[in-house]
Amino acid sequence: MENKRATLKDYGYRDFTVMNKIYKVLKKFFVVFIIFGLYISIVVIAIQSINESRIISEFTNVSFKWYTNIFQEEELMQAIKNTFLVSGIATILATFLGTFFAIGLYALGKKVRVIWMLLNNVPILNADIVTGFSLMLMFRLLMVVFPNIFGLFTLVMAHLFFTIPYVVLSVMPKLKETDPNLMDAALDLGVRPYKALIKVVIPAIKAGIFSGMLLALTMSIDDFVISYFNTGAGFDNLSIWIYAVIGRRNLTPSVYAFSTLLTLFTLIGLLTYQFLQKQKKGKKNEKNNINGRTS
Amino acid sequence: MNKEFKVLAKPYMVWLSILVFVPILAMVLISISNLDSSVSVGELVISLNHFKLLLESSTLIAFRNSLIFATATTFLSFVFGYFIAYEIKLSKFKNKFILLTIIILPMWSNLILRTESLANIMSENNILKSILGFNLFGNISGTWMAVLFGLVFTYMPFMILSVYTALEKIDFALEEAALDLGLPPIKKFWKVVFPLSLKGVVTGSIMVFLPTLAGFAIPKILSRGQIVFIGTIIENKFVYTNYNHGALLAVVILFFILGSILLLTKFDKEGETLL
Repeated sequence: MENKRATLKDYGYRDFTVMNKIYKVLKKFFVVFIIFGLYISIVVIAIQSINESRIISEFTNVSFKWYTNIFQEEELMQAIKNTFLVSGIATILATFLGTFFAIGLYALGKKVRVIWMLLNNVPILNADIVTGFSLMLMFRLLMVVFPNIFGLFTLVMAHLFFTIPYVVLSVMPKLKETDPNLMDAALDLGVRPYKALIKVVIPAIKAGIFSGMLLALTMSIDDFVISYFNTGAGFDNLSIWIYAVIGRRNLTPSVYAFSTLLTLFTLIGLLTYQFLQKQKKGKKNEKNNINGRTS
Repeated sequence: MNKEFKVLAKPYMVWLSILVFVPILAMVLISISNLDSSVSVGELVISLNHFKLLLESSTLIAFRNSLIFATATTFLSFVFGYFIAYEIKLSKFKNKFILLTIIILPMWSNLILRTESLANIMSENNILKSILGFNLFGNISGTWMAVLFGLVFTYMPFMILSVYTALEKIDFALEEAALDLGLPPIKKFWKVVFPLSLKGVVTGSIMVFLPTLAGFAIPKILSRGQIVFIGTIIENKFVYTNYNHGALLAVVILFFILGSILLLTKFDKEGETLL
């Protein structure tokens, strides 16, 4: 009688090489498609910024005149100024307030904190249109007392409303990570609580504060919907201004130039940050190595 | 942390209580009454008159459009976004920060401008055609495809980020254990990795679904005003200062949001995957 040999398949082995190959090809296709989708608009903006012609549907010649022209476009400059003014004020205030609010919420203890964190997340999760529309209605009710409320004030208030939660949210995990003994040690050594907070806790949560600030700035600068409902008296930020102008079909190419510049600066900033971070890490490792050897 | 610092939370509690609840209460009140800029408080009448708006066919169509597009966008960004997040996690490239930067970088330029330039290259005569000689997108300006493309690639980064955050937290020992116990890689993914990343998927889905459902700028620009979303109607009501109707529609959207928040708190108590 012939012994039937068990094949690999009988042991439950399955051959995935063909599938793996298909997956690999699909993977490349997918990655290219997604990167294309994410970047096509940025690329088009860049192309339009160096197009000599004012007509957006044809490319005539390479020219950088729209870059130098940014400063001559009064409306554009005003919109840019307004954007930076609102986002600057909102980001600084939100970072400062959000950090202390997060510390306060953390001190509340877990049970109470969960409830307030839920409320904290409302502005983040709530649809922009609902936030914007309902804030507008509230400010409108206030108009009975303060008739000229719409403008810079309402914009900053609205921006604070949705930027503080981001700061709180990014500071909170860092607070959870910090050693609770740190604070106690400082107090035992005779430092007063609020001084200890600034000298000990804040440095420990620095990274969270910084990332919260960046998030707040990002959200604030790019916001359209909430600003759209809460601005007034011709106080347009960049998004609102662009939205209004594209309705009239005469967007100056300088906008594309400004946007491209901003993208480039962001990229350079991020790369520099990354580079510095790496250097810092390298130095730390070196130090550790030296310590390791001597001890 | 020192209990003394509880005081620091007090102003924020006041701030949140006022700015979360007062505007919404005002909105609800305005949606069920005749309150507008011309009516003084004394003549206030509560009525459900505005609810007729909800049964108008234009409103229903807008709701249908919003829901269909939001669902499709969420699904597509889940498929693509999960794939990219997983590839970033698997990639041998050590510096994940740079990979994530590549994903987020487009979000730093102005959304309206990006959408407008997308709409430009989707129309028949465009700048890419004059350079390349052919039409990259065909002539899809004003169609549902244009809107879907714009929505998916605008909101997908949110999905990628939250899924990646969840994936990154999975202990590699668990995956190793699954492989050691004889699961093939595909099953390992479905039985171990995917369930553990569900938290990120839920958060990501909500962060894509809600802005899509309530958005108005992207569909308006990309469909050239052809496809009406619920947000578009709200915007129109705002422009024509019909706040009662606008408020009513916003209240309806609010219910969708409350549902999503409840769903989210089931999966993620303190909103840790929100960032």
